[in-house]
Amino acid sequence: MFNSITSGTVHGIRSCLIKVEVDVSQGMPCFQMVGLLGYEIKEARERVKVALKNTGLPLPPMCINVNLSPADMRKEGALFDLPVAVGIMGALGHFPKESTQDTIIIGELGLNGEVKPVKGVLPIVMEAKRQGIKRCILPKENAGEGALVQDIAVIGVGSLSEALMYLSEQSENRDKLIEPLRINAQELLDKSRNDTDIDFADVNGQAALKRAAEIAAAGLHHMLIIGPPGSGKTMVAKRIPSILPPLSLEESMEISSIYSISGALISGGTLMTSRPFISPHHTITKQALVGGGKVPMPGMITLAHRGILFMDEFPEFKRETIDILRQPLEEKQVQIARSSGTYVYPADFMLIAAMNPCPCGYYPDMQKCKCSPYEVHRYLGQVSGPILDRIDICVETNAIQISELTSAVGGKEESSEEIRARVMRARQIQKERFAGTGILFNKDMEAKDIKKYCALGHKEKRLLESFFGKLNLTARSYHRILKVARTIADLSCSEKIEEEHLTEALCYRVADDKYWK
Amino acid sequence: MKNLLLPIDEELLPYAYWLCNVKGVGRKTIYHLLTQIKSPKAVYDLSEKELLPFLTERQKKLGLAERLMSSKENWDIQGTYQELTKKHIHFTCLGHVAYPERLANIPDAPYGLYYIGKLPEHDKPSVAIIGARNCSEYGRYMAECFGRELAAAGVQIISGMARGIDGIGQKEALLSGGYSLGVMGCSVDICYPEENRELYNMLCANGGICSEYSLNTEPQNTLFPPRNRIISAFSDIVLVIEAKHRSGTLITVDMALEQGKEVYALPGRVTDPLSDGCNRLIQQGAGIALSPQDMLRTLMENGFKFSGAVSKEKHHSAGKNIFLSDIQSEIMDVLDTSPLSVEIIKQQMLLKHQRNIPIPELINQLMKLSLCGGVRQMGNSYFMKV
Repeated sequence: MFNSITSGTVHGIRSCLIKVEVDVSQGMPCFQMVGLLGYEIKEARERVKVALKNTGLPLPPMCINVNLSPADMRKEGALFDLPVAVGIMGALGHFPKESTQDTIIIGELGLNGEVKPVKGVLPIVMEAKRQGIKRCILPKENAGEGALVQDIAVIGVGSLSEALMYLSEQSENRDKLIEPLRINAQELLDKSRNDTDIDFADVNGQAALKRAAEIAAAGLHHMLIIGPPGSGKTMVAKRIPSILPPLSLEESMEISSIYSISGALISGGTLMTSRPFISPHHTITKQALVGGGKVPMPGMITLAHRGILFMDEFPEFKRETIDILRQPLEEKQVQIARSSGTYVYPADFMLIAAMNPCPCGYYPDMQKCKCSPYEVHRYLGQVSGPILDRIDICVETNAIQISELTSAVGGKEESSEEIRARVMRARQIQKERFAGTGILFNKDMEAKDIKKYCALGHKEKRLLESFFGKLNLTARSYHRILKVARTIADLSCSEKIEEEHLTEALCYRVADDKYWK
Repeated sequence: MKNLLLPIDEELLPYAYWLCNVKGVGRKTIYHLLTQIKSPKAVYDLSEKELLPFLTERQKKLGLAERLMSSKENWDIQGTYQELTKKHIHFTCLGHVAYPERLANIPDAPYGLYYIGKLPEHDKPSVAIIGARNCSEYGRYMAECFGRELAAAGVQIISGMARGIDGIGQKEALLSGGYSLGVMGCSVDICYPEENRELYNMLCANGGICSEYSLNTEPQNTLFPPRNRIISAFSDIVLVIEAKHRSGTLITVDMALEQGKEVYALPGRVTDPLSDGCNRLIQQGAGIALSPQDMLRTLMENGFKFSGAVSKEKHHSAGKNIFLSDIQSEIMDVLDTSPLSVEIIKQQMLLKHQRNIPIPELINQLMKLSLCGGVRQMGNSYFMKV
């Protein structure tokens, strides 16, 4: 009496389908499971045994063998409990074998037979659909997540008996028993698009910082904000997602899969409708930042994929933690090698780092700063040159004036929606310009692209040359300045990089002459 | 002091070097011995018994004779001295021809002097530029300005190679092709502070570094005040750029006054703690340093001659001679000699000139002004008038 059930698992961020093969035969009573199993899966035996007993279907004294195929792939997670239990019941003839055809089953079992939610449902269902599976039986709590995948019937079950009942039913009556859940992901995305309550209009003053944020958002440039405590660094950084273009459905599904794997989706609804804003505390370890564990879980930088990684108090992070960002910043993904294989996680995020200019926060205001030059030097030294090299825009904030808070000058502040409109226009220009080149944003331009897309007129060239001599700029900063100038030109819908775009870009160069001398 | 000691030959220098390196023998003991025994070689040649009559009771009690004897045992007179020359470190002592005359004139002149590079020339004017380690942007700018212009006029710049004003003034002097001497609070073979390594190397190559301390002497806070007397000894004028009310810089000023040198102070804002020391010096009668030309004039009155004519006085309220548009002159009006952020400049433009200028336009104008030289960008978002 052999039976085979389709299930699935995630391996890093990739998901794959697994065949659960069950054989029940006469012989010495036993229950064995093979197939390169992790601890959680080995323990599934006990859970299945007790759950079946408590459902009123105790295991008969027979020889039960379970194999998870492919046998050479290491499997982790508790999501095979339900398929194993169902497989055994199918092998014992509790329901016709055809009823599990084209069906994927995943779920964890409690001892009383209830089905508990698991991680990674969304990517597994996406993979199942790709491979032509028609139906999936999922834990009730995960059904909403699975139903984001269109054109596949999602059956949420609360207990083992419910699942068995469903499978025993005649195929035409099944949908009456448990109706497949349907969710229109696009509608869900559109509906919740505008329900954030943080807006740039809340920020009084700080016009220079806002302008820099707008440029950074338009070209997806990494940004560094330096300023004394309480000067609105965090406040502005938190509002940057509100001026980034809204998520497309593909992006949203991509992010949702990552969150599904890391188990963050269970608490946070079914679909990621806004760009992630990840703000790790500075005590974070390297592993937590890029991903770690025997089978690495996605780290903070992967959770910030397509969104923002905000690192407040940048120099307070351990230097090695900061330096580990180098590869992801360059390649927009992170490779983690383990004995079980090499895992590649996406990490295409916008880095926003905020820092005080010194430990006390007031340098170089010598009337207030109490730090010795050595302390300042050590503090700033936490941020290494290679990281600074990857930051295109650097901006300083000043302590907020009382007049700004009362908004006596300047009048009404611009809302995120108005800024976003400009950002999206600039992004559209970039999209058209880079069509077919594989580049998405100005930030991603290489030296040869810069030559092609950031050509300067005679007058602009001369201006840049004279600044070069004066500011002691390097070849590296030359490229960065041109990239930012390109974005500024895009923001003002100018095809050519004009003088004013260059001078503004020059103003945002990383001020290594002031802080990192 | 110099009158008490006999002139000393090249051959005797190794003995003087030995004497400076006996543990527990300081400047005063050396002078005590040499005023009686006259030559360091004679001290070296004396036996313990012969030495005793020259010592005071206290020195006998402290075991000075034994110390001198035991140090002779493991000291290779010629070998150690040659090692010194191998390291390109020069040694001179009071009475030797290379010993600087200015230094010999002060009452507590060091006996031995180590130096790398060259020592200042006696017949050339020198000015000490000193000030706070934790200096402000104003101090930095003025130290650069004074260092550059004085050095260009042929003035030797003396200072302590410290962080802040000292190092800034010296570096600028060397960059403009002048001479500068760094007087160290440790031995000459140690670069302190480490961040001034570049300056240290520049001084070794094109200027000079000197110290009264034996090799391998690490910097200690007790060693710094005594070196200040050497700084002022080498200078004709001591110029204080920035100093707090209680500052180590003022020790140098006291030394300078004792040695009869002129003291100049750079005036600053009354509310600025970093200018407090300077303003008080002015109140007490120090010269007011408005421009490098003030120093040059005083030096000329003291009989120094300058190759080029002293250039016409420049005012530091700059930006006057550049052609400015309306908006630019309004911006110049708002700017200050202390850095202001773009944000503040924007607000001030609105308050003072009723002009609501968008940030990109403002940044553009500021950057252009910084290119002309009337404005300086500090970091990213701060601008100041220069």
